[in-house]
Amino acid sequence: MSELFPQQVGRYAEQAGSKLTTTHKNENVIEVTQEKLKEFLGHLVNDLSTRHLMTITGLDLGQNIQIIYNFSHERDTVHVKTNVPKTKPVALSIIDIVPGAILYEMEVHDMLGVYFTGNPWMDRKLLLPDEWPSDLPAPLLKTSRADEIRKRLDLGVAKQ
Amino acid sequence: MSAQPEKPPRREESAGLMEYSTESLVPFGPIHPALKEPEYFKLVLEGERIVEVIPRVGYVHRGLEKASESRPWIQNMYMFERTCGICSFVHSVCYAQAVEGLTMFQVPARARFLRTIILEMERIHSHLLWVGLMGHWAGFDTLFMWVWNDREVVLDLVEAISGNRVHKSMNTLCGVRKDMPENMEDRIIERMKYLTDRARYYRDVIDTEETMLARTEDIGRVTADTAEKLCAVGPMARYVGMRRDVRLNDPYAAYDEVPFDIVTRNEGDVHALLRLRLDELVVSANIVSYAVKHLPDGPIRIKIPPTIPAGEHSSHCEAPRGEIFYFAKSAGGRTPERVKSRQPTLANIPTALEMLKGQTLADVPIVLTAIDPCFGCMDRMSFFDIDSNKKWTWSGEQLRQYGINKYFPERAKRQLHGQKFSSAGLGFKEKF
Amino acid sequence: MPKKQIGSAIPEMFREMLEKPSTEAYPFKPIIVPDRFRGKLDIDPAKCTGCSVCSLVCPSSVITMVDMGIRKLADRELKVRKPVFDLASCIFCGECVDNCAFNALEMTKQFELATPNKSDLLMKKVFT
Repeated sequence: MSELFPQQVGRYAEQAGSKLTTTHKNENVIEVTQEKLKEFLGHLVNDLSTRHLMTITGLDLGQNIQIIYNFSHERDTVHVKTNVPKTKPVALSIIDIVPGAILYEMEVHDMLGVYFTGNPWMDRKLLLPDEWPSDLPAPLLKTSRADEIRKRLDLGVAKQ
Repeated sequence: MSAQPEKPPRREESAGLMEYSTESLVPFGPIHPALKEPEYFKLVLEGERIVEVIPRVGYVHRGLEKASESRPWIQNMYMFERTCGICSFVHSVCYAQAVEGLTMFQVPARARFLRTIILEMERIHSHLLWVGLMGHWAGFDTLFMWVWNDREVVLDLVEAISGNRVHKSMNTLCGVRKDMPENMEDRIIERMKYLTDRARYYRDVIDTEETMLARTEDIGRVTADTAEKLCAVGPMARYVGMRRDVRLNDPYAAYDEVPFDIVTRNEGDVHALLRLRLDELVVSANIVSYAVKHLPDGPIRIKIPPTIPAGEHSSHCEAPRGEIFYFAKSAGGRTPERVKSRQPTLANIPTALEMLKGQTLADVPIVLTAIDPCFGCMDRMSFFDIDSNKKWTWSGEQLRQYGINKYFPERAKRQLHGQKFSSAGLGFKEKF
Repeated sequence: MPKKQIGSAIPEMFREMLEKPSTEAYPFKPIIVPDRFRGKLDIDPAKCTGCSVCSLVCPSSVITMVDMGIRKLADRELKVRKPVFDLASCIFCGECVDNCAFNALEMTKQFELATPNKSDLLMKKVFT
């Protein structure tokens, strides 16, 4: 039931050592560390039947890169946030819990440079061209600029 | 799915130079004049059956998410509207909902109903386009012409309301920009009744026409468990029995005030997808008629300041192809900090790969069109015979003709389809 | 289960032969577009005051303001600026029309804008 669902999620969130915040629009937001992530997601998918992963969003927060797993369960949405440092952007893959996450992790790998251990397709690119220079940083980082990328890839100058 | 044929044994040449195997690699490559967007599937065939599919997408990656970080909030709406041509309005609605959740303003009731009307008209137009494409790739060109003629009916209505057929540009933050014109209600209701009758007729045709049944029944099967694990969305989830529809599970716009029921099917093959989309068309026509009769009064938009307060919000909507997801993060300025958009075809690719395994080469156009991809169907296909190092190419038209010839060889020789027995079919048989 | 047959669409085919064709006779006859059709942009020079709001809201940088001189008003000198339109980039959204406070802009019904020279679509009106 929709009223008890946030409380059930909150119980598992406390086990993982974090607090659940629910906004006024049925959005449940939890922030967990990388170590507790798979255990918490295992509870969410197997015990609470929250099987639909909408997407995986990556954000650049300056020092860290934040990865948000967006789940959907009837009228509620659950957003599980976790951080990885920019100096060592390695995260754990969740395709053993949710097999449909394989392409979303490839996208975060392409766009923000996060490596997911356990994902078999990490050597392939999803969205970037094959001839992307290896010394060019990932495009969605705040330090990457569109005109530099266009110059390196020989795409010409964009209209101002 | 039907059982895999037995593998013939491998032979190795004594000199060790060549290894004979029955596997051939068919690259299903990206560029074709008929495509809306390109994509690339590498098919590994064993004989005629597909055993593995390796996808490669990203040929039209435009960097919209990066571009959105340097444009004001309203201008981003026009940019995200142009992500897709067929589902452009639902992209702008979803983005608007993600941003409106950050403000404290509510969308007026009349605007929500107007958004629902245009959304459902867009769904009707998209499903009619898809049914026509299925007819074309199956060889039933007459159905294609008739269905696209009926599509003009709904496009004329959309043009009369919004000013354009494809990119409606009717949405704005906290409302819509144009009201319903005067004296349109009767015309809309009468046209919706016409489209309902036509949809019911097409449903009879695909149910009884033996040629369509031969091409679409028992093709493209996927179990419900696989579809749920791979996070399928839209009709790809509903054709195996899952009741997954954002309009029902998490209503937005005016869907909680309009009575309707979603359509699911249990058969799990391409024929079920045809029936499902035609039934959904009837449901959409009923929603439009109801919403037009019960349109509330009031303003159509609220003016909001150009800066959006800080925060994060996400929203999801049901496009004709599946679920669309938008996430917006604001740092309190005139431009967003991060906008993320996820299109339904990306979510359906893993399920599409499972659908393709076990199918024959002739069924590939039907299966790839059945997932209703937003990157189009087909293109130049190269064949490599590993054994003899021969290489030849087929165009999309030749592959389509190959499928028709394989299923109806006698009929293809006659003039019934209006097409001669193409040289592609002869060439293929001669080489083998 | 309905009875399977071949050629279930043939009766409809005969019925369709008696109706008039669905193809429009364009370009031999003109196409009637609805009232709200968003075609080529047009400006009424008498109403434009040079406030620049249209150039600020345009999503694709179609409108540039150019200096047209100085106007003296009492003891102040005001810069006069008027818009120039590069209609090759226009996306026909209508934001400029909605935001013009003086109703100087309008979207006409003209849609035949294909040309081999992009400079044909540069619209500069004479402002007095």
